[in-house]
Amino acid sequence: MEDNNEVNEVDLTDSKMVVPLNTWVLISNFKLSYNLLRRPDGTFNRHLAEFLDRKVAPNANPVDGVLSFDVIIDKGTSLLTRIYQPASADAPQPNILDFHKPVGVEVLPVIIFFHGGSFAHSSANSGIYDILCRRLVGNCKAVVVSVNYRRAPENRFPCAYDDGWTALKWVNSRSWLKSTKDSKVHIYLAGDSSGGNIVHNVALRAAESGIEVLGNILLNPMFGGLERTESEERLDGKYFVTIQDRDWYWRAFLPEGEDRDHPACNPFGPRGIRLKDVKFPKSLVVVAGLDLVQDWQLAYAKGLEKAGQDVKLLFLDKATIGFYLLPNNDHFYTVMNEISSFVRSDC
Amino acid sequence: MEPYGNSGGVSSSASSSSSSSAASITKPHEMDGYLAEAGYMVRSSDLRHVAQRLERLENVMVNSPNDLAHFASDAVIYNPSDLASWVDSLLSASDLSISDLDFPGVIINNHHTALPTADTWAEIPPISAAPPQNHHQVTAVMEEDSGIRLVQLLVTCAESVQRGDLALAGSIIETMRALLTRVNTDCGIGKVAGYFIDALSRRVFTPQSVGSDGGSAHQNELLYHYFYEACPYLKFAHFTANQAILEAFHGHDCVHVIDFNLMHGLQWPALIQALALRPGGPPLLRLTGIGPPSPDGRDSLREIGLRLAELARSVNVRFAFRGVAASRLEDVKPWMLQVSPKEAVAVNSIMQLHRLLGSDSNRNSPIEMMLGWIRNLNPKIVTVVEQEADHNKAGFLERFTEALYYYSNMFDSLEACGAMQPDKTLAEMYIQREICNVVCCEGLARVERHEPLSKWRTRLELAGFSPLHLGSNAFKQASMLLTLFSAEGYRVEEKEGCLTLGWHSRPLIAASAWQVMPLPEATATATNPLGIVNHSANHV
Repeated sequence: MEDNNEVNEVDLTDSKMVVPLNTWVLISNFKLSYNLLRRPDGTFNRHLAEFLDRKVAPNANPVDGVLSFDVIIDKGTSLLTRIYQPASADAPQPNILDFHKPVGVEVLPVIIFFHGGSFAHSSANSGIYDILCRRLVGNCKAVVVSVNYRRAPENRFPCAYDDGWTALKWVNSRSWLKSTKDSKVHIYLAGDSSGGNIVHNVALRAAESGIEVLGNILLNPMFGGLERTESEERLDGKYFVTIQDRDWYWRAFLPEGEDRDHPACNPFGPRGIRLKDVKFPKSLVVVAGLDLVQDWQLAYAKGLEKAGQDVKLLFLDKATIGFYLLPNNDHFYTVMNEISSFVRSDC
Repeated sequence: MEPYGNSGGVSSSASSSSSSSAASITKPHEMDGYLAEAGYMVRSSDLRHVAQRLERLENVMVNSPNDLAHFASDAVIYNPSDLASWVDSLLSASDLSISDLDFPGVIINNHHTALPTADTWAEIPPISAAPPQNHHQVTAVMEEDSGIRLVQLLVTCAESVQRGDLALAGSIIETMRALLTRVNTDCGIGKVAGYFIDALSRRVFTPQSVGSDGGSAHQNELLYHYFYEACPYLKFAHFTANQAILEAFHGHDCVHVIDFNLMHGLQWPALIQALALRPGGPPLLRLTGIGPPSPDGRDSLREIGLRLAELARSVNVRFAFRGVAASRLEDVKPWMLQVSPKEAVAVNSIMQLHRLLGSDSNRNSPIEMMLGWIRNLNPKIVTVVEQEADHNKAGFLERFTEALYYYSNMFDSLEACGAMQPDKTLAEMYIQREICNVVCCEGLARVERHEPLSKWRTRLELAGFSPLHLGSNAFKQASMLLTLFSAEGYRVEEKEGCLTLGWHSRPLIAASAWQVMPLPEATATATNPLGIVNHSANHV
């Protein structure tokens, strides 16, 4: 005999009212499928995840002025990157040797892109990220290198950062990516969600090693901490994301036994690394006003500021997570413009 | 380890990826462009459906997360790009019966009548906020219980709409659609429910797409024709009115019929022929037909007039036709009709007067104005046929439940006539337009403001008309004609001189006739029907 006659209903009204219908369908679908993939015991249904993920092949023929191809940059870890380049439709069909001819532009921004997915989901060849990188190329007239970093829970901290670092070193040493003005590769790091977190950590490593990164772009970066912030409590479950799933992903990424004040999760928390006097790149931090971890993201921006670093915060009031996945809202265009200005400031 | 993991989902869509400026406006049957770029194929018209399914899955997961996770691991999923099928297969594979998705406030009734009849309706208890009981009774999905369930859900949905809770209404619509898949939608409650669910769906989800005419006048005319053929209502209306007009024209040599809605002029051949056979010979017959203007430059009114003239000529009836094109009945002014003082006038309104009952903040309803000038024409007879229903109540829920009952009977009666396809479906579409207007529209857009005979009686008497008995002849002949043209189950009834045609015990259409009651201070006389004093303009 049931002792509870009530049916628990989820109120999805909030999320439905702020995003266009196709965005709602897309992100809800992710939410649904991601729920199916996370197991309570901390394991992840990787086979199903790969099956469900919509992937696209690279295309060396320019489509809308962008061509793409895949390169394995580390055979040891099978680390793959997908490279996107601006190209004109009437250029002759490139062959493999052409890919290593200098792009030959006076100032060529090269954006190393880390896709999102909370460290566990998606790949460089996921449809949503392939199209986003193409848009970045078109928008910024840049080369984009999308890194297919190793994912949690199979590969915990610091694998994703190691892969990012490998990619940075690789990009930095490509002669064909050099800008002719100063014979250097003009590198920017960009990423959304977990990718944003990777950006920060790779930039840290770059600063320690003397590789110059010209700028960091963090889109809805994934940060957290032990404490429950006001925004987490206020927005829990309202706009596609729950505190519960955030906790799961941190448990999957951080070393076993660690908590969310680990510096990878909470860079300006009690165990954070001091950034004062570090030659850290300028940062563009984009925060969606309906993202439940915004308090951590805002704290990150504040932390950079307090450490005397150059940071620009773009707070998008009514944006939810994933707003940049479909170009059907103002925030998308605002952010694209900002990113473009950011990477082309010295062109 | 492979660089890109399981490549089961690799598609070659990169080469066909649309430009980043893919139009965000897609036709309903086309795939949503932005989702397609992301690798998901969903038709624009399916977006809402998929969204609703996702929402339901969300609810399922909240309530029984383990089931779905199990399914996800074990099931074979074919094409994750096809979002619509994927969410549907997840939903259907989950071990739920519809009853698990109850909403608070829906009480499951234990009736066993398959179709709502007068008795069933009276017994349905009012909606209360009590939690749902006895889930188990509905687990075996029986046709009858599903039918009753559908009715309950429809009413609950209407109640949510009335309260303005469109989110809940939307959810209920989704549940109903699912339940519809388990009932027979070819007849009975399944069929009617389908139409009402569609109408509610329009009202809740796409209110901007609902116009007052719900389609072109031309389409309407076509559907009217099928409705005319498929069931006896319009034939009854025409026949009864003609009988009364014939009697009213007795002894007059010049007669003028004003038809408020000519349509195809289907009513008039019979009258023309009856007048031709009149002892003493036919009168001069003038017919003024009112109808909407033709959009494509044709003069459809004139075309119909010509055909009727041809018929009149063939039976030696002197005939003159005039068409008056007006998009709204209230735009017609008496001078357009050119009534002559010498003629006996019959005003014929088949399901038109109710369209004049709408009003908004800017103007009152034109019914009184219209009835006023009709009276001033000094007609010998005004024949009025109207739907015998109360679909003009202010409260949405009341209106909705009335309409549900009314149209259930109408659809049942249509079923009994056994029209062939596609005629039957087209006839149903005619009815569906009425339903949509009653359910979806408000203000001036809502033209199907049916009121019962008792209300029309009051209205017409107030306007200076008195009832004309339709006579026992009319009744007998109507009954006889019915046996020829319809089916078992139809019933003609006489009520205070008016005739109704209905299905079993429920009258669905009422025909009445009226004459002008002399008012004490009337200035209208036989030679001055418009009551104008000192006119100098030609008024013939």
